Amino acid sequence: MRTLLWLQGGACGGNSLSLLNASDPDLLLFFEQHKIKLLWHPSLSLENNIEKILNDIRNGKITLDILVFEGTIIRGPNNTGTFNLFAGKPMKDWISEISPLANYIIAVGDCASFGGIPASDPNPTQSTGLQFHKKEKGGFLGQKFRSKSGFPVINISGCPAHPTWILTTISMIVEGKLTEDLLDEYNRPKIFYSTTTQFGCPRQPYFTYKIASNELGHREGCLYFELGCRGPMTRSPCNNILWNNQSSKTRVGTPCMGCTEFDFPTFNFFKTEKNRSGLPKNLPIGMSRGSYITFSAIARGSAPQFLTKPLIKKRGDWIE
Amino acid sequence: MIGLNEKIISPLNRVEGDLDLKVELKGNKVVKAYPMSRLFRGIEIILKNKSPMDSLVITPRVCGICGGSHLYSTVRALDMAYKAEVPPNGVLIRNIMSLAEMGQNDVRHTYLMFLIDSVNKKYESFPFYKDMVLRWAPFYGSSYKEAVKWSKKYTEIYAIFGGQWPHGSSMVPGGVTAEPYPDDIMKAKAIIKEISSELVEKVMIGGPTEQFLSVKSMKDLNQWCEDYPNGDICKIWIYGKEMKWDKLGKGSDYLMSFGHVPLDEKYNQENPELMFKSGILNLNNFETLQLNQENFLEFVSKSYYTYSSGDIGLHPFQGETNPIPPISKDKYTFTKAFRYKLKDKLIAPEVGALSMLAVGGNDLILDLLKHLGTNVLLREIARFIRIVLINKIIEEQLEKYKFGEPTYKKPDEVKDSQGYGLIEASRGSLGHWIVIKDGKIQNYQIITPTQINMGPEDPYGNLSHMSLALVGTEVENIDNPIEVAHIVRSHDACMVCNVHFFDNKEKMVLKL
Ligand code: SF4
Repeated sequence: MRTLLWLQGGACGGNSLSLLNASDPDLLLFFEQHKIKLLWHPSLSLENNIEKILNDIRNGKITLDILVFEGTIIRGPNNTGTFNLFAGKPMKDWISEISPLANYIIAVGDCASFGGIPASDPNPTQSTGLQFHKKEKGGFLGQKFRSKSGFPVINISGCPAHPTWILTTISMIVEGKLTEDLLDEYNRPKIFYSTTTQFGCPRQPYFTYKIASNELGHREGCLYFELGCRGPMTRSPCNNILWNNQSSKTRVGTPCMGCTEFDFPTFNFFKTEKNRSGLPKNLPIGMSRGSYITFSAIARGSAPQFLTKPLIKKRGDWIE
Repeated sequence: MIGLNEKIISPLNRVEGDLDLKVELKGNKVVKAYPMSRLFRGIEIILKNKSPMDSLVITPRVCGICGGSHLYSTVRALDMAYKAEVPPNGVLIRNIMSLAEMGQNDVRHTYLMFLIDSVNKKYESFPFYKDMVLRWAPFYGSSYKEAVKWSKKYTEIYAIFGGQWPHGSSMVPGGVTAEPYPDDIMKAKAIIKEISSELVEKVMIGGPTEQFLSVKSMKDLNQWCEDYPNGDICKIWIYGKEMKWDKLGKGSDYLMSFGHVPLDEKYNQENPELMFKSGILNLNNFETLQLNQENFLEFVSKSYYTYSSGDIGLHPFQGETNPIPPISKDKYTFTKAFRYKLKDKLIAPEVGALSMLAVGGNDLILDLLKHLGTNVLLREIARFIRIVLINKIIEEQLEKYKFGEPTYKKPDEVKDSQGYGLIEASRGSLGHWIVIKDGKIQNYQIITPTQINMGPEDPYGNLSHMSLALVGTEVENIDNPIEVAHIVRSHDACMVCNVHFFDNKEKMVLKL
């Protein structure tokens, strides 16, 4: 039996709810198959004995295999942490005490990973992630922190994280199959964070040939050129491992917000920021300005005609 | 500081967010109740000076279980600010998403958060205890398992149109970004049909939907329970009365609803015609008063905030969010006190599923209210009724969607404007107010249902609905104050509550 404890700091609970959406396996089956004992979860547990559990972990009566943390570490106001009191004291103090005792620590969601929305400008709660603050390694636990197994905090970023990403990561830990070289430079499992949101996006052909959707509400056209899609610079499998077994943001015409990245939220969503010569300020990961210009010129010129007009006509259509 | 000489323990879990509830007892009776919100995340502050469209991404993150409702409120506020027209398809898709989220919430609330308390040891000696355990025990109960399985199917419907749930998107001023194809509609129809037959009819109500819709009075409900005794609604109706849940948790004399589900053909930003009407129902005479958002006020005399103008109440358009460290002597919560100005009175209404249906004119709920008044049992019964109605409306709205017609009409940009969006979220009335200046958000204020129900007292000593519901409650066993837990959870409080119990010597005595 492995023990798992789930705590929430500056959180909206979205990752917990996301977890409840898991299917194949669903949560109940997952715990059974992986012989995991859920010590406590804020919305699922019947018992209200969290303070005792925390103290038993501290005095060694309970071995904590996996600590899952959702939400930011709130340090405010004035470094007291009292904007987030939990079971008698600031949550940040519980985390300081419990973290070194856990074999593995998982930060679920962008908040726990990088600070997310609460830590965004002007960061009124002095929020930070467990081991990163935005792009900077450090966060609340510090650069050098390692949990008992020797691992740094494993980040499963996303607002929220997808249940498949969470459960797969836990299963790999439990089965002893997670090695450190499977993590990227932000300590995220590479199996989920190597590709970008564009992988599997049905609008990808439009991106390739630089055919823009200029207006929301349409199924066709790429959302990158005008509508602020961050798909080309966001590492996520959102279009490969679909949400709720059904869809993704770009599939329903909403630009990718980049919620798996350290800089989420970037603000000015729904609009592509451009520089003076009209080039998007943010280019696809690893692409130089020069090659972007060359690529665009060629792409536009070679666009197949059937893509430059609506595939299915409807009233009030926008292309042409 | 609150909690310095008092031990803070035991979050009353299974609710969303953070709330402590301090309850003082005299003997076995609750004499005072202080709902205390202990988490501050500063979303309203973060929204300042950002682009108005950014609120569509930020506000859903206020809450992980009702983010779609925040999105809907935001988009309604932006519709008003941008003077956006919304094509009928846009209204339909928004409604479907919003109701799918509500269905998800009602199932999860009922089974994952409320009913599992029926296995509490207080009820061990009842002859039907075993039946309750077999149905409702966490992780093992038969209905519990079905709830885990089917609640997520609602989120699939949301995702078909909103990309993902939680924190889906797609609603924008002027409509929705999605352009559903007939296959999307077909799929959504199949899912809602399946939920209706496999969860709602087999597990929850125990009989056919169409027939249940003709249950209009308490007498009809009793008859329904004779005809279809195996549904959970009948079990909770009968067992609930045995356990005296119908005597527990009466609060405010007023039920309020902001109203919900705009009609697609008649949509306008200011006063859309609604399927569930808005208003305030006075329980003393069963008169419904018209609702006017200009009469909303928020006070911070007991909250960890300051106003530049002192203790007076502010309307959300003028609202301020200036947090202070939680160490004040007279202040005890991060929740502002919501009050409705009714002539010369300040009222603190109850909001939630029960209010939404009662104000909306649901015959069955109104008849039950006339017989029993407000209480814990009725709040749960209301969720069963609401889910039947929701499923039906989702089916109808899907039917009306016209493929080939637009779902979105681009509104003109605005530099200076304001707007508000009032809707019913799963847990009750929700409102967003936005003030736009020079193309940026100058002020953004949110009033949430849990805040309306569980706010602190106002400067004149008027208690909020939740405090009223708790005061006077008899707790059978102080070491197991399950009655208090029922009252709080029946509101589907959007908070991780800590319940502290104090006896009259102000000593902490409870463990939940
Ligand atoms: S819509 Fe976004 S994710 Fe899809 S191809 Fe275009 S840029 Fe990439």
